[in-house]
Amino acid sequence: MTTRNRSHPTTRGAQSPSSEVLCLDIVAAVRPDQEGDALIRELQRSRGRVRRLWPLPARLPEDTDVIVAELVPELPQCLPWVPGQPMAALIAVMAAIQPPNLKLLRNCAPHAVLHRPFTANTVLTSLALARAQFLYERRLRGRIDKLDETLRAFRRVERAKNILMQTRKIDEEEAYQFMRRQAMKRRISISAIAAAIVDSCEVLG
Amino acid sequence: MRWCRGLVSEPWRVGVLFSQSGVMAVIEETQLRATLLAIDEINAAGGVNGREIVPVIYDPGSETGAFALCAKRLMIEDEVSTIFGCYTSSSRKAVLPVVERLNGLLWYPTLYEGFEFSSNVIYTGASPNQNSVALCSYLVENYGTRFFFVGSDYVYPRESNRVMRDLLQTQGGEVVGETYLDLRAKRTDFVPVMRQIKNAGANVIFSTVVGDSTIYLYQSYAEAGLNPAVTPIASLTTTESEVRAMGFDVGAGQITAASYFQSVPNERNTAFVARYQRRHGDDEPTNMCAEAAYFQVHIFANALSRTNSIDTDQIRPAVLGSDFDAPQGRVSVSAANGHTNLWTRIGRANRRGQFDIVQESPTPVWADPYLVGSGRVSLSV
Repeated sequence: MTTRNRSHPTTRGAQSPSSEVLCLDIVAAVRPDQEGDALIRELQRSRGRVRRLWPLPARLPEDTDVIVAELVPELPQCLPWVPGQPMAALIAVMAAIQPPNLKLLRNCAPHAVLHRPFTANTVLTSLALARAQFLYERRLRGRIDKLDETLRAFRRVERAKNILMQTRKIDEEEAYQFMRRQAMKRRISISAIAAAIVDSCEVLG
Repeated sequence: MRWCRGLVSEPWRVGVLFSQSGVMAVIEETQLRATLLAIDEINAAGGVNGREIVPVIYDPGSETGAFALCAKRLMIEDEVSTIFGCYTSSSRKAVLPVVERLNGLLWYPTLYEGFEFSSNVIYTGASPNQNSVALCSYLVENYGTRFFFVGSDYVYPRESNRVMRDLLQTQGGEVVGETYLDLRAKRTDFVPVMRQIKNAGANVIFSTVVGDSTIYLYQSYAEAGLNPAVTPIASLTTTESEVRAMGFDVGAGQITAASYFQSVPNERNTAFVARYQRRHGDDEPTNMCAEAAYFQVHIFANALSRTNSIDTDQIRPAVLGSDFDAPQGRVSVSAANGHTNLWTRIGRANRRGQFDIVQESPTPVWADPYLVGSGRVSLSV
């Protein structure tokens, strides 16, 4: 991912949006009023493919990068995922006048919020923020999955190391080196190599 | 954070998520009953700080996806933050993202394969170091080193067997066969498994079969003419409830490791069993999963009476480090990992559908879900 540390644009169109928000597939479930039309135009400016849906479907599509949806009471039920496992970045669209429904906001867990009336810069910044938050969350979730797996594999690697040290009369470092070389040669993980060593040792007795 | 506290008479609402239908219903219904028994006891004694506990109950019907959707519904539509529930690891893993994202607290009263930590879960069932470690040593000492693994095909059996394989290897044993059957496996599916077991010359059948097919496993074993005194089925999940479903004579002689058996001899347990049976029927046995489901509600209520707030950020710190006189003995929730320090026991089923306790830890065993210290130090059991 590219990070561009430039100063913030002060005027509309002063700078092209960063690649994170360009050419995305966007689902926009917004009311078909004048403001809604303006929002769609702003989203299209990001050169994204915008699909407009209204009324809010019972289940929003999940094959998209970003969902922009009115924060209505039925929105949590219409999201195609359970909380904590979003499949797209979510931007909640909120009315200007009513006091914000914070509980509803919490339940939808959006990555960014847009308030009516929309202005050009807020649409693009919300899009960028939502996309970045979503991707960051996904990377963190991926890291946790990987850590979980590593923790489990750790015991297996330790055991394989001990087997190698005993059967081949080599030291700890050499045992790790051996597993690393084998893993690279076969293009599989060290954990898989360790599993194979432990299993074959068991078969040989 | 709740800024405006409700009226004093407003009840404490909690979610309850156990299957009342589908293949897991036999065991999960016992957890549901024990949960409701504990809630009744607390309400009969005046509730928590004068407020009643009211359960919102859904039946996910043994479907993993339904657990996630029910959890979402509980937290969003019913506005509940505390959920008691889940038996299988798949259902816990389905509920986990929901409680983590919405900052709920799941109370999980079932033994599992370990290697997990979440700030949004209190684990009150056994980790592998509280059952597998002692079970493995006991089996090797008493029956032999050749183990055959039979399991249901989902996350818990595979992960649990990974741990058991490790433990067995450090004891000089070996896995002579390993097979996984669908959760909906039929009785006939177990016939070839029995043949494999005989051919492999196993000393022990280590079973992680759960749900309705547990009954078929033990019945096929009995039909195949295997002898539990020589080649027993050893399990971490076959409780009094499964033994009752398969028939007392079918289960007799088989081994289970658990932190609780109905036969645990103490007054607290006698009272628990009596109340459970008064409410649900004289012939309804209690079991380790029901006992954990029961005591965890009491630990929750004790913490709630101190915080007077059901908010996860308030109540979790009050739960960590707290202890309780459970039917199995004194238990405490580890402040380090949110798992519960439990007793280790090994039981052999008798002809009355109860377990004779053949080994017992002298004190509660500290929960070590990542097996940091287990397998290296021998446990004094």
